[in-house]
Amino acid sequence: MTPPILTAKDLRKKFGDFEAVKGISFSVLRGEIFSLLGPNGAGKTTTINMLSCLLPPTSGTAEIAGHAIPGDTLAVRRAIGVVPQEIALYDSLSARQNLEFWGRLYDMRGQELTQRIDEVLDQVGLADRAKDKVKTFSGGMKRRINIAAGLLHKPQLLFMDEPTVGIDPQSRRRILDMVRELRDGGMTVLYTTHYMEEAEELSDRVGIIDQGRLIALGTQAELTRVVGEQETLRLHLAEEAGVALAGVNGTAGAPATMSADGSVALFSGLPGVLRASAVDHQIVVNVADAGAALPAVVGRANTAGLHVRSVDIEQPNLEAVFLHLTGRGLRD
Amino acid sequence: MLNKLTAIIRKDTALRFEGRSELLFFLILPLIFTFLIGGGLPAAGGGGDNRLLVPVADEDGSPRSAALLAALADGDVVRPEAMSRAEAEALLADEDAAAALIIPAGFGAALSADGLAAGQEAAVTLLVSPTSNVAPAIEGEVNRAVSALARPLLVARNATEGVAAVRPFADETARAAFFAAALAAAEAEAAPPARVVTEVAAGGNAYDQRAQASAGQLITWVFIPLLGASGLFVYERLMGTLRRLLTTPTRKSTFLLGAIGSQYLAALAQMAILVLFGVLVMRVPWGRDPVALIVVLATFGLAGVALGTALGTFVKTEGQASNLSIMLGMAMALLGGAWWPMELFPAGLQQIVRVLPTTWAMSALTDITMRGQGVADILPEAGVLLAFAAAFFLVGLWRFRYE
Ligand SMILES: Nc1ncnc2c1ncn2[C@@H]1O[C@H](COP(=O)(O)OP(=O)(O)OP(=O)(O)O)[C@@H](O)[C@H]1O
Ligand SMILES: [Mg+2]
Repeated sequence: MTPPILTAKDLRKKFGDFEAVKGISFSVLRGEIFSLLGPNGAGKTTTINMLSCLLPPTSGTAEIAGHAIPGDTLAVRRAIGVVPQEIALYDSLSARQNLEFWGRLYDMRGQELTQRIDEVLDQVGLADRAKDKVKTFSGGMKRRINIAAGLLHKPQLLFMDEPTVGIDPQSRRRILDMVRELRDGGMTVLYTTHYMEEAEELSDRVGIIDQGRLIALGTQAELTRVVGEQETLRLHLAEEAGVALAGVNGTAGAPATMSADGSVALFSGLPGVLRASAVDHQIVVNVADAGAALPAVVGRANTAGLHVRSVDIEQPNLEAVFLHLTGRGLRD
Repeated sequence: MLNKLTAIIRKDTALRFEGRSELLFFLILPLIFTFLIGGGLPAAGGGGDNRLLVPVADEDGSPRSAALLAALADGDVVRPEAMSRAEAEALLADEDAAAALIIPAGFGAALSADGLAAGQEAAVTLLVSPTSNVAPAIEGEVNRAVSALARPLLVARNATEGVAAVRPFADETARAAFFAAALAAAEAEAAPPARVVTEVAAGGNAYDQRAQASAGQLITWVFIPLLGASGLFVYERLMGTLRRLLTTPTRKSTFLLGAIGSQYLAALAQMAILVLFGVLVMRVPWGRDPVALIVVLATFGLAGVALGTALGTFVKTEGQASNLSIMLGMAMALLGGAWWPMELFPAGLQQIVRVLPTTWAMSALTDITMRGQGVADILPEAGVLLAFAAAFFLVGLWRFRYE
């Protein structure tokens, strides 16, 4: 088995009385892309901050490339590269000036640094904008330079904290491709996101994090097995699910109600329906076999007077895992 | 570590001078203010005339009064300028001159052979300003010139009278001829006349507007940007770069040293330029004791950059930093005597402003330029500035947070 490059043991972080990270343990194996998937406020950034020695853990330890946290701060930092969630660049300096500065802080210099900057600029597709000030860049371009600055010194382990937040689809595509290229080139990547699709597309393994706890960990196949062999019917509604349900009539056995945790009773009793819950403008129905259950589910919705605009059939995915484990959607 | 330090210094310098406006505060304003407040270019000829202006009303208009004027003009202390009595008195009243010399009609006649023979008294009037501390120097210089003019005449008169007592002259012509010969001999004897050399430069306490302006503006305009350095810390915090810095293998101490060092180096460069401008354009005697000058400027820069670092831990936005640095910098410069000589302050205030680093810096700089003092004399001021630096750095380190 590949040895881990990072091992975290029961990391905790308290801010005053509030515990943002409540004992997280996991390992990242050399050469893999490991994603921490979780909603806003789950504790992803706090975890990364502890692992990059920016915040001292309240308790717990970690080891990165053989160096201890807490303890070997400088050695740990030499082994890692960090792409912070918030863009951290000098916006009145040019892209090249920024990279030169950050490179020197990693003890690079001279010809080696110049060459590496050219390489990285190529990699993020901004070679032609090297001389422009960062403040003239689009959000996506800033994100790419933000990544470039973390890559310069070819770290063994790269932390990428939600590197695609708030950018256009093209830039996002480019970044996702790049992450995979980096992994293929031998770098280990610890990637955080609250986009299920990104975690699914990129990750060799995923840790699902919620309210400061790691609630599931494994390959996607392992995780989706948690939800069983079930599939998902996603009913897209014209209105917010709660509002839509309030306006229709259920039956005695299946009232058109929605409980506090989001579960919906309207489809109970139908063959093959395991559970249903409301998320935004959707009702997500977990079923054993989507093809078999679809007519009955749509029929029940029509009878009740629920206006369904479209239906998606989904194989088990991480969203379903999250829903299964927490009863909530990833983006509520 | 050196690689990182230079990287930080280069980055800070690039950030600082990225906008043209910084150059305004760094160089353009200080040069303009020094020039204007120092009274513009030194008078043409002789490479600048620092002598004290003395308006002279020559109401006599004789060769003797002209000779007195010439004797004064010849000296190192005063720069006589002929004008009417009213004009001279006006200059005095406006405090544009510390003293005015009136040569009354009859001055020349009293010093003529006949006048001398008749025992007439030749007198000039020196009107002095009550507030001036340079009037005594002018008085001494006028005394010197008057006696230099009168002494040969007295010698010639005494000789003529002595001769006449022994053997009376045949006629007035013979007497005049003898007097003239005696006078010529006495004048030849008196050259060079014995004179009191009043060295304003070394011993005196002469106030020099150019030196005051050069030193005062240097303090003001070096101090303001140093306080403004507090804004750089705010910028780093807001940009998130401070956090990123701390994920690189860079020690806190390296970062702080680099950030402070870049401000300090810029201040030293700025001071060097302003001193050069003072020497070359304003003819301010900055170079009398270079070691003393370097000691004072180096310690002053440290105190300023330390105060900027301490401030950086208090301010929350860049706007605050820039407003605060200008207000605080100006106030401390004004109260420190950078814009008006400290001697004009009320005695009580003079004591109070000793709590400001600018006061000590200004005092040390004028000691060097105006009073010609050396390293030993400015060590107390340098010590106080170092103490200020240490205190401000401690406050900064104690309060420094990365968040
Ligand atoms: N410095 C701090 N002081 C107090 N609370 C904090 C601090 N930093 C984070 N928190 C809290 O800790 C929790 C976890 O925050 P964190 O930034 O780690 O979440 P995240 O998973 O990165 O979220 P996002 O996806 O929004 O970036 C949040 O509730 C946040 O408010
Ligand atoms: Mg985050």
